[in-house]
Amino acid sequence: MSTIVSTFFALFKRELKTAMRTRVYYLITVGVIGLLLALTAGGGGAATGYVPTVVDLLLPLEVLVPVLAIAIGYRSVVSDLERGELAVLKTYDVPSSVYVFAIYAGRAVVLSVILGSGLLATLLLVSFSSGPDTSIFATHTGLDSPLLFARFIVLTLVFALALLAIVLLMSVAAQSTLTAIALAVGAVVLVVVAGDAAIILGLTDGWIAEADLLNALAIAPNSAYRGAVFETVIAVTAASESGYGSPITSVAGLFAWTIFSLISATLILHRRTV
Amino acid sequence: MSKQQSTNTRPAATSQEAVLRATDLTKQYSELTVLDSIDLTVHAGSVTALIGPNGTGKTTLLRLLLGHLEPTAGNVEYAGPAVERPIGYLPQQPAFRPHFTVEETISFYASLLETPTDTKELLTQVDLYDVRNRPVEALSGGMTRLLGIAQSVVGNPPAVIFDEPASGLDPTMGTKAFEITAQLAERGTAVIVSSHDLALVERYADTVILLHDKQIAAQGPPQQLCQTHSVADLWEVYDAVTATETPQTNTEVTQ
Repeated sequence: MSTIVSTFFALFKRELKTAMRTRVYYLITVGVIGLLLALTAGGGGAATGYVPTVVDLLLPLEVLVPVLAIAIGYRSVVSDLERGELAVLKTYDVPSSVYVFAIYAGRAVVLSVILGSGLLATLLLVSFSSGPDTSIFATHTGLDSPLLFARFIVLTLVFALALLAIVLLMSVAAQSTLTAIALAVGAVVLVVVAGDAAIILGLTDGWIAEADLLNALAIAPNSAYRGAVFETVIAVTAASESGYGSPITSVAGLFAWTIFSLISATLILHRRTV
Repeated sequence: MSKQQSTNTRPAATSQEAVLRATDLTKQYSELTVLDSIDLTVHAGSVTALIGPNGTGKTTLLRLLLGHLEPTAGNVEYAGPAVERPIGYLPQQPAFRPHFTVEETISFYASLLETPTDTKELLTQVDLYDVRNRPVEALSGGMTRLLGIAQSVVGNPPAVIFDEPASGLDPTMGTKAFEITAQLAERGTAVIVSSHDLALVERYADTVILLHDKQIAAQGPPQQLCQTHSVADLWEVYDAVTATETPQTNTEVTQ
């Protein structure tokens, strides 16, 4: 195993161990499961099927996912910078890129487990409380299915991981834990709210042509997520309606945010630690 | 960690061989000059202590020597043997993951190097082996500092930099931290230590560098500095130099 690979895994394992010994993550997990089950039960979608549940959860998740990404990621790098731990790691010749990607990978697992637990609990609730037709796995257009919900889970995780990368970038740029949380909130609000607002403005002002709308939706993380969910989950049960978004472009947009943020974080960290 | 107990396996650096060399080192932040034309050489097998009033650039100089800060002018050259980890570092306030045990902490750092590390030996050397299963959050300030010292020597670096290893510690722990610096030097390590504890510096340092007004105002073995200034101890040298001397009247004492 090369030094870079072993260094990556040493840092990655340390992140996971740290998370496993942090009680607040367990409380967050319980809270997320409780909240998603309450929303599912309260929205009435659970009794109807998987896709109605997706409709119930989509908007709350557009708020919950950024909050979770901030909670899990805002201290990820700035704490090590404040503690002087990065200065120490530098004497072990740990490259900035390996450090950033390992920390991200560790936090990504934590976020995926927390969010995935909530969504899997929701899946189970729906499977126990909805009608018999929702247990059919061999899906085709027009039929509700747990596979559609699984697709929703995957898209939600891709969305969450893109936001986590943005939050990690802010954590690298911050001078202190307090500024890290302010920057993370600011950045997430900017990409979430300003992204949607820019697309609406672009359409009304005419600098985004109607024909380019589907691609434009992929630029902002929230609209990319929303478009992909509508197109690949919700629209499937309504065969005549589609064109809410371009799934491939939307997912590519979310990956682009992730990669751009991680590369930027690496460059900034390299500059900060010389 | 006496010379007899040591099982140091790093490439031998002959005593008095230069390990770190800084030439004409200058650091400016915008218009503010923090360090101006510093020349210094750190030798293997010696403890070099950096003293001076707060704000004279001790930590900046240490960061420059570590390569964690780019100098505005001049350069720092590592002249020691080619090893995986040339310089170890103990920050002023070493901090670790609080839920990790002492042994897990050292094992993590050891896992970053290909050179195998005997963690048992390392923890024994700093008197932490008996508390190896204790979480870092349950350690006293002194024990955390000792863990920091253990971390700084993982991989047997030819040079180690300690930023105020005794600050905030009780006299026993402070002395212990300095004893370890001296023992490391006995093994051939070049130790650079910044400190405000002049009694410990006088007792353990081979060379003292007094920073004042952006420059080296005095440099040499403690006893020679005392003789040159016709004073009884290092504190009086410090007092005399920082109160009266300007950088233009540097006192250079040759070893």
